[in-house]
Amino acid sequence: MKKSERIKDKAFPYLMCLPALILFIVFVLLPFFTGAYTSFHKWDGYGEMTWTGLENYRFVIEDDVFWLAMKNTAVYAVLVTIVKNVLALGLALLLVRKTPGTTLFRTGIYMPVMMSYVVIGILWVWIYNPTFGLLNKMLSALGLDSWIVGWLSDPKYALLSVVWVDIWKWTGYHMVLYAAGLQGIPKTLYEAAEMDGANIWRRFWAITVPQLNSTIVVNVLMSLTGAFVSNYDIVSIMTGGGPFHKTEVSLTYIMTTAFKYSNMGKASAMSMLLFVFVFVFGFLQLRAMTHEESYD
Amino acid sequence: MKTRKKITNILAVVILSVFFIVCVYPVVWMVAGSFKNNSEFYTNIWGFTMHPQFQNYAVAWKQGALGEKFWNSILVTACSIAIMIPVNSCAAYVIGRMEFKGRMLIYSILLLGIMIPGGVLGIPTFQVLLGLGLNNSRVGLILVYVAGSIAMGVFIMRSFFISLPKGLEEAAMIDGCTRFQSFRKIILPLAKPGIATQVIFSGLSFWNEYYFANMLLSKPELRTLPVAAANFIGRHGVDYPVLFAALTIITVPVILLYIFAQRGFVEGLASGAMKG
Repeated sequence: MKKSERIKDKAFPYLMCLPALILFIVFVLLPFFTGAYTSFHKWDGYGEMTWTGLENYRFVIEDDVFWLAMKNTAVYAVLVTIVKNVLALGLALLLVRKTPGTTLFRTGIYMPVMMSYVVIGILWVWIYNPTFGLLNKMLSALGLDSWIVGWLSDPKYALLSVVWVDIWKWTGYHMVLYAAGLQGIPKTLYEAAEMDGANIWRRFWAITVPQLNSTIVVNVLMSLTGAFVSNYDIVSIMTGGGPFHKTEVSLTYIMTTAFKYSNMGKASAMSMLLFVFVFVFGFLQLRAMTHEESYD
Repeated sequence: MKTRKKITNILAVVILSVFFIVCVYPVVWMVAGSFKNNSEFYTNIWGFTMHPQFQNYAVAWKQGALGEKFWNSILVTACSIAIMIPVNSCAAYVIGRMEFKGRMLIYSILLLGIMIPGGVLGIPTFQVLLGLGLNNSRVGLILVYVAGSIAMGVFIMRSFFISLPKGLEEAAMIDGCTRFQSFRKIILPLAKPGIATQVIFSGLSFWNEYYFANMLLSKPELRTLPVAAANFIGRHGVDYPVLFAALTIITVPVILLYIFAQRGFVEGLASGAMKG
């Protein structure tokens, strides 16, 4: 009786972890290693796999479209990250002034966060529509006819137009994170600085930024990892990678390679390379999220 | 000084208003578009219609079989949440509040999920589900969703459990509770905010998820709402007001929930990212 109870006690924490571990191993780690395994094989998705060593990786590295997609992904991620964070921090600074209507502003600016990328993508394709779209109609109403372009069909603007939609969706989210961070900064710091005659600009750089440091780090890293690997929905809905691969990102190209060209091996090799690039940011995000908890 | 503050405040309101309109107007415009008839959709582009076409909704509902898709989305989201909460809470509890061999190892393995984004797992997940005979099944999709939520969920729940005073469950155990009972009856209720955060954080991403839902479920009768919406545009000759009605149907439940539980959504999502 006593002994069996002791065993039960000992087993308790492991039993509690077991469901999480099993699910995680079967549906995250196993796919990961399956992907790694597939990347060394030739496979069309149905028949037998044949071992080809590093062949797939060679194909990928020699594939110009892959590098174009990687470049687009990087441009996408960096642009989204910078604009989203600058905009969000700026809006948060205005929001914490507690002007009339703060709650309304927050509620509204946050609204796109709730919506599916699919819905947002379809809406914005229509907003960008050259003849019937809201944007061009607005521009011509403002007398800015010279600004009218085919937002998604012009290779010069297509990627930027998609990037803006991602920024539009997530700015509210980051704004709320920054606002929470800003409210945590002790007021006395600002009062002291004001007494010393520091102007608004100086107070921002000397107090706000350093005090907000960890919030900024988490926001930036979250935006980067998010933009690198969750842009499939929006790009595939809005442009499908076109025109001329100008908005092709890694994930759309991977999916095309896998399901249109039935080249699972090469698609897996691309996934692995993408993983290596994103891993660095993911690791940094994890560090930033955990480094402050030393109290247990 | 006072007037300067007033001026900056006015400027703040102006800028916030502009951004507010930029964010909200497309949503309002979507709803407005869903009531237009086909010709008005192309002529009265940014205004409201005087002759609302309610039948657009009936057509969208029927054409997209949205009743079925709605049910699929609810089922997948609800089941994923129902499995996710106990799975993550149990693991997070023992990792956060007990000493045992391999604790940090298990925690580190689970946290790897933050570094392995779902995006790069698409194709091999498909392979694994095929191997398990779970392809084209809601169960497969649900388990993939739950697995994807583990890293973040355990992280959030653990930080809640750690913040509770030490010795709570020992006191309950002296009163005759088992360890598990004290967890379920004492600790878990205290971690309600953490659970709410998870429900909102993950629930929303399950409801809106497209990438896996599109890839893993190819049978039309299993598809979820986002996939149904995407398939609307795939068709030849899109009836835009009907499409907009479909988009509105998909978005309205979330927006309504959001308006009623606004604080929870905003703070829940925010604290999901910034530990606990």
